[in-house]
Amino acid sequence: MKLSAGMHLVPLAFKQLVRHRIRTLLTVAGIAAGMFLFTLVESMQHAVSGATEIRASDQTLVVYRENRYCPSTSRLPIYYEDEIRRIPGVREVIPIQITVNNCGASLDVITFRGVPPEQLARYAPEIRIIDGSRKDWEATDDGALIGENLALRRGLKPGDAFEAAGVRVRISGVLSSPNPQDNDVAYVHLPFLQQASRRGLGEVTQFNVRVEEGGDLGAVARAIDERFASAEEPTYTQPEKAFFAQAAQDLIELTGFTRWIGIGAVIAVVGLVANAVLLVVRTRIRENAVLQTLGYPDLAIAWLVMLEGLLLGLAGGIAGAGGAMTFLWLARISFGNEGQMLSLSPDPVLFAAGLGLALALGAFAALYPAWIAVRRPIVESLRT
Amino acid sequence: MNRQNDVLIRCHGVTKQYRKGNNLVTPLESLDLDVPRGDFLALMGPSGSGKTTLLNLLSGIDQPTSGSIEMDGVKVHALNRRELAAWRAHHVGYIFQLYHLVPVLTAFENVELPLLLDDMPRRERQERVEAALSLVGLSDRMHHFPRELSGGQEQRVAIARALVADPPLLVADEPTGDLDRQAADAILGLLHELANGQGKTIVMVTHDPKAAEAAARLLHLEKGRLLEAVS
Repeated sequence: MKLSAGMHLVPLAFKQLVRHRIRTLLTVAGIAAGMFLFTLVESMQHAVSGATEIRASDQTLVVYRENRYCPSTSRLPIYYEDEIRRIPGVREVIPIQITVNNCGASLDVITFRGVPPEQLARYAPEIRIIDGSRKDWEATDDGALIGENLALRRGLKPGDAFEAAGVRVRISGVLSSPNPQDNDVAYVHLPFLQQASRRGLGEVTQFNVRVEEGGDLGAVARAIDERFASAEEPTYTQPEKAFFAQAAQDLIELTGFTRWIGIGAVIAVVGLVANAVLLVVRTRIRENAVLQTLGYPDLAIAWLVMLEGLLLGLAGGIAGAGGAMTFLWLARISFGNEGQMLSLSPDPVLFAAGLGLALALGAFAALYPAWIAVRRPIVESLRT
Repeated sequence: MNRQNDVLIRCHGVTKQYRKGNNLVTPLESLDLDVPRGDFLALMGPSGSGKTTLLNLLSGIDQPTSGSIEMDGVKVHALNRRELAAWRAHHVGYIFQLYHLVPVLTAFENVELPLLLDDMPRRERQERVEAALSLVGLSDRMHHFPRELSGGQEQRVAIARALVADPPLLVADEPTGDLDRQAADAILGLLHELANGQGKTIVMVTHDPKAAEAAARLLHLEKGRLLEAVS
């Protein structure tokens, strides 16, 4: 059977599905629910991978207080900045104080990052202001540049004021960054945050360090920690993604568990499609025999059955994976833990993966019904 | 052309047996039959006499237990399942008693079914379907669904479907069995025209003596054996 001939059967398979509208709609709804769950779970796994898998191109280190795991307990003297800047391989350093409204795992964590306003553009030139003004922020003591996800989640815009963790700020602008963490935080002036959160002016939570292009993250991290090994506040320095993996360990473990939900959803989809297609095949035994009498080979009959599975998978995949993408786009979900944010973003790659899987499941689930459809002798099927 | 070369179907020593529970059933036994090209042959006989079994063997949807069936020089009994499907597509048109049209397809789409697997341009497909529907007098109903047609019209669509691939052989299993007299006469007239006007070879199973009268030849089957042949 040629490919073009196989494609001629697509309208027939579609019409056969439409023939039982309610059953088809219920099946598609079930597949969509399964693929919605699966795609959401995959979004979480994708977000964790993106936040924790270290790549050769990564250039950021986080300097934290040794043996501290929460922003409220990590305190480092701000004068470390100059010392770190002098270490070979360091390109840029920025002191950051972090204040969060909730140190535990939460869906609505507000994270303030206090930074010297004049240093932010130099340290993170990739940050774009998509609404409001950076100059206004630099000139306003209690101004905040908030990430686009945070702005959408809380419905905030420049000129608004909001309060969290005892810190009240006015929004100067909304930022967008290729670094997902930036899109969920509020950047404020370091001195303002130190005072508002009743921390001393001389202390920060951490330093973020950018190493030279092609630099050795490990070597620079060791050099920093050796420099402060005998200081009163020793440091522990690691790549930003390793730091995230350690700080947000609970979140990552929970996210890992959700994979089982995804697997469950996939199994449910296979069962649903197989059941639907098997029902279709059993009610059309004679009709398939008539097609065989007309000269349709076993392969064409099997393909016709498989097409129904594929079409169900396609419809359910578009609805489920597409629904998940729409939901993520509208809801802008971010998980927070110990001040680290994990953002779930709509991603065309995940949509394509969800759709591809739904098609594969549709085809796989239709294999047995396809075999059932062709194994009976034609004469026997015509008598049913 | 001599008689030897003018034979379309040649059956020799055809026996069909199958198991039904612990019993071995033999619906056809050592049957010899030649069907000339362009013949309109009616098969009659009581229920269980082997008429439909013979029709199924001639149309290639079943295989004999022993013996040979040749059509146009092709040893049909020796073809495998895949080869048989390809052979059926181009050599046989099957007309069922209950039409067996696909209810979600229009008359046009039902007739188009046998052509879908051929690598045929859409335009040519359309022309052949329209010609087949025109031949059975249903040009004005080609976009109607089976539920919108009468029994006689449904059977005409089924005949058009059997004709559209232009097979030399048409087999009909009680084609008028579900129709009233008037519709049945019209279908028989159409089959007669296909045999005489289009040169199709037709083998028809019927219980209806009036239907059998429309055929050029009548054969009686009883207990799997050919009893008599009446010209």
